[in-house]
Parts: sequence; structure tokens; C-alpha cells
Amino acid sequence: MKKYLYMFIATLALASAAFAVDSQIWGEMRIQNILGYGQEESLKLGPLFTMLQHHYFAWIFLGILIGVPGAFFLHYKIIGPKVFPHSEKKYYAFNLYNRIIHQIAAISFIVIVPTGFVIVFGDFFGGGMFVRFCKNLHGLFTVPFTIVVIPMALMWLKEALFNLDDVKWFMILGGYLSKEKKPILAGKFNAGQKMWYWVAILGGITMILSGAFMFFLDFKMEMLHNLTGMSQIDMLRAAAIIHNVMGFAVVALFITHVYMSMFAIKGAVQSIITGYVEEEEVKILHSTWYKKLKNQGKF
Amino acid sequence: MEYARMKFYCDEHRCIECDGCSVACAEAHELPVGIARRKVITINEGIPGKEFSTSIACMHCTDAPCEQVCPVDCFYIREDGIVLHDKEKCIGCGYCLYACPFGAPQFPREGIFGAKGAMDKCTMCAGGPLETNSEKERHLYGQNRIAEGKVPVCAAMCSTKALLVGDSESVSAIIRTRVSSRAKGASNPLVWDKAYKNQ
Repeated sequence: MKKYLYMFIATLALASAAFAVDSQIWGEMRIQNILGYGQEESLKLGPLFTMLQHHYFAWIFLGILIGVPGAFFLHYKIIGPKVFPHSEKKYYAFNLYNRIIHQIAAISFIVIVPTGFVIVFGDFFGGGMFVRFCKNLHGLFTVPFTIVVIPMALMWLKEALFNLDDVKWFMILGGYLSKEKKPILAGKFNAGQKMWYWVAILGGITMILSGAFMFFLDFKMEMLHNLTGMSQIDMLRAAAIIHNVMGFAVVALFITHVYMSMFAIKGAVQSIITGYVEEEEVKILHSTWYKKLKNQGKF
Repeated sequence: MEYARMKFYCDEHRCIECDGCSVACAEAHELPVGIARRKVITINEGIPGKEFSTSIACMHCTDAPCEQVCPVDCFYIREDGIVLHDKEKCIGCGYCLYACPFGAPQFPREGIFGAKGAMDKCTMCAGGPLETNSEKERHLYGQNRIAEGKVPVCAAMCSTKALLVGDSESVSAIIRTRVSSRAKGASNPLVWDKAYKNQ
């Protein structure tokens, strides 16, 4: 994780110096870039990016934007939310530090995700001022997320490691397909939450790095060129492809995360606001954790 | 009716790498520092017989990849094949640059925190979507020489007439005539053989 952080800092530092050194795109390298375009032995990233962006990316994003909330709407109507009494005992699970880190990431995502959609469907919004403003916000709100992503990764790492409970959780999809309130095997975080943790952390870092590439555009990192064997323009093409593809996963799970906390489990969002989780909720949805807390006499 | 398609062609046997096209372009359109819509490149530099120079800018591709990838659809292809874009729509995302085989789109840094500004590229001296020859068009896109019936400034200024522009059929007709009337290899003209070989 540290390695990526250093890489990101190096990117920032080098980008500011980039204007002084010879351009990797419009300078001497331009000849190699032109000669290398679509060559047999290359990865053909130029034509690949053109094809994907022209035919697929916007449609896949539209599919996710309609499909994922659509599926949850049906789930809400057919199976319905889980409602737990909120008068029972509570356990203080998230301290102030946890909540502040989470809230900074949450605010960043609330800005980054919709503005990302505005850029993807930029033609629908007619381009110009509004879309340009969203593009700037999209980059600007990456900064707070970048600051909290490592602390967030560290503070929940232990609870986010997968174990045997998660296999059973996935087999019954966390019990969300039935109305029954049977105890479900899960620690502090269930398998779904763990999946979101890894997509948000690793996917988030990938998004930051690929986004930074596209923001700073013209810089030279000898180490990266040697490591990948790619020219700057090809790395930018790869970054654009990765940013979109990883975007599918991050957006789909972000919508899921919001649905689960706001709608599927009534009042669950309160736990990250106040820090307290409800006994009933923990007993059913995180039964392994409940047993552990009970043994420690926390309830 | 088939319209003519406007194309550039740089005859590498004639280009002498004088950079005149690039300078003429920058001057005519009053381009900001750091932006060069046209650039002369030399390939195989220093290798005898293989070295040649050519002038590149936006090549106004028939199936323009930039137009295909633009998320705000700011590109449009005129009936004569000139690929233009609307700078007021452009958000400066950079996708056109990733799609372009020639590295033509450029981005002046402006706006908040040095974000990429609206893209700039060769317009084949045909301005943009704004009112033809208006002050605003000139400010955003440079001269609109096509509307005035003039040749794009780079080709007009080319001292060796290496850089040609016009409808693709006329351009290829000129190149064909040049190739068929050319002696073997530019570096070894026929007359030299006549003058020195049989002594």
C-alpha cells in the first residue's frame, strides 16, 4: 500500500516539473508514438481505447446506473427491507476517528460518482460550462479521498480479511433473498461489506492513480516506462481504459453500499453517524461477532 | 453527390525541415506559447538514404477517432471532410488525444489548479462553429482562410511546396506526377551520374 502512496506522491512531484522537461507526447517522443500506433507487436491500445470508448463504456455505465438500482427496487418491493427494533442495547463500534475518516470518504464519493456520470454522459448534458465544472469537481474531490484512503484501509484491514464465514454468507447471499430473521454468520463486517472494502480501497487507489495520470497528462516517470515498457501515450490510454473498467465495479458496489445502509436495513446508516450498532441487528446479521461480544460481556 | 474531401499531404522528398509551416501557423493564428498545431518531424535522423522529414498536424481523418471517443460530442466533420470541434463544448478531458494516432490534440493549462483547458488543434484554417470571420471565432480558432477562399497558411507558405492541401484527388494527382517524373532517389540524382560516372 505504501508503495502506491509513494508512487502517487512521486507523480504529483514530477508533474509539476513536467512543463520544464521535454514533452513526452508532443516532443521527440511524438515520432515513436506515431510509428508505434496500432503496430503488430504493440498492445494496440489506441485502437482498443477508441473502440471501447466509442461503442461500450457509456452503455455499460448506463446499464449499471439503471440495472443496479432497478434490481434493488425490485428487492425492496418483493422481499422488503429488514427492520430491527432500535430500542435494545447498543454497542459502540465506530469511534470518532473511524467516523470522520468514513465521512470524508463518503462526501468524496457522493461528489465523485455523480460527476463521473456527468462526464460519461457529457453529450446528454450538452458539454460546456456545466460538464467542465463537474470534471473539475471530479478531480478536486479526489484530494480528500486520497488523504483518507490509506488510514481507512489500515483501520478496517483486520476485519476485512476474508474467512470461512464468508463462503457461507455468499452461498445464501447474506440472507437478503428471504424475509426470515435467522442469525447469519459474519464478523464485524459481512462478506458483502468486505467485498466493498477491497473494491473501495484497491479500486479506489487504482482510480486515483489512473485519474492522476489523465489529469497531469504530460510527465515522465522513467521507472514506470522501464517497468511497463510503454510510452507515455500508451500509459494514458491504459489509464483511461482501467479508469472506466474499474469505475464499473466501484460504482456498482457504491450503489449497493448506499442501498444496504439507507434502505435495505432500516436505520443501519445511524451506526456510522452515531457510532453505535443495535443489538438486534448485530445478533442477526453479524452472529459470529455477536457471540464474541457477548462472551466479552459487551451486551 | 460526392463531395471532395480536403486532405493534407507532405511530400517527404521535398520537405527540407525549415519549420516554416509551423511558424506560419503559430503566427497566423496567434497561438499561445506552448501550442504548436503543426510540427515538422524527422524520421531516421542521421541514417543516410533513410532520413526524411515531414510535417504533421491534425490529419483530418476520414473516420476521425477523436470524433468517436469525445464524451461531449464536440467534434463535427464538415461536408468537405475538415474535422473541427466546438471549444465552448469541449471539457478538456483528453480522450481525443488518446484516440489520435498523430498526437494532434493539445491542451493549454488553464482554469482551476491548472486543469486541462479546451483542446486546440489544426482547423485547416477553417475556423470553428461560430459565425464565420467573427472576432470570437478568430480569437478561439484563429483565421478562417477557407471561408475567404484562401489556401491554409502552412501550405501557402511552404517554400518547396512539399506541403500540399486540397481535395484528396487533386493532391494525389500532383503526387503521382511528381513520383513518375522523379529520377531514382533524391540523394542520387540522375544528372550526377551523367556528370561524373563515366570519366
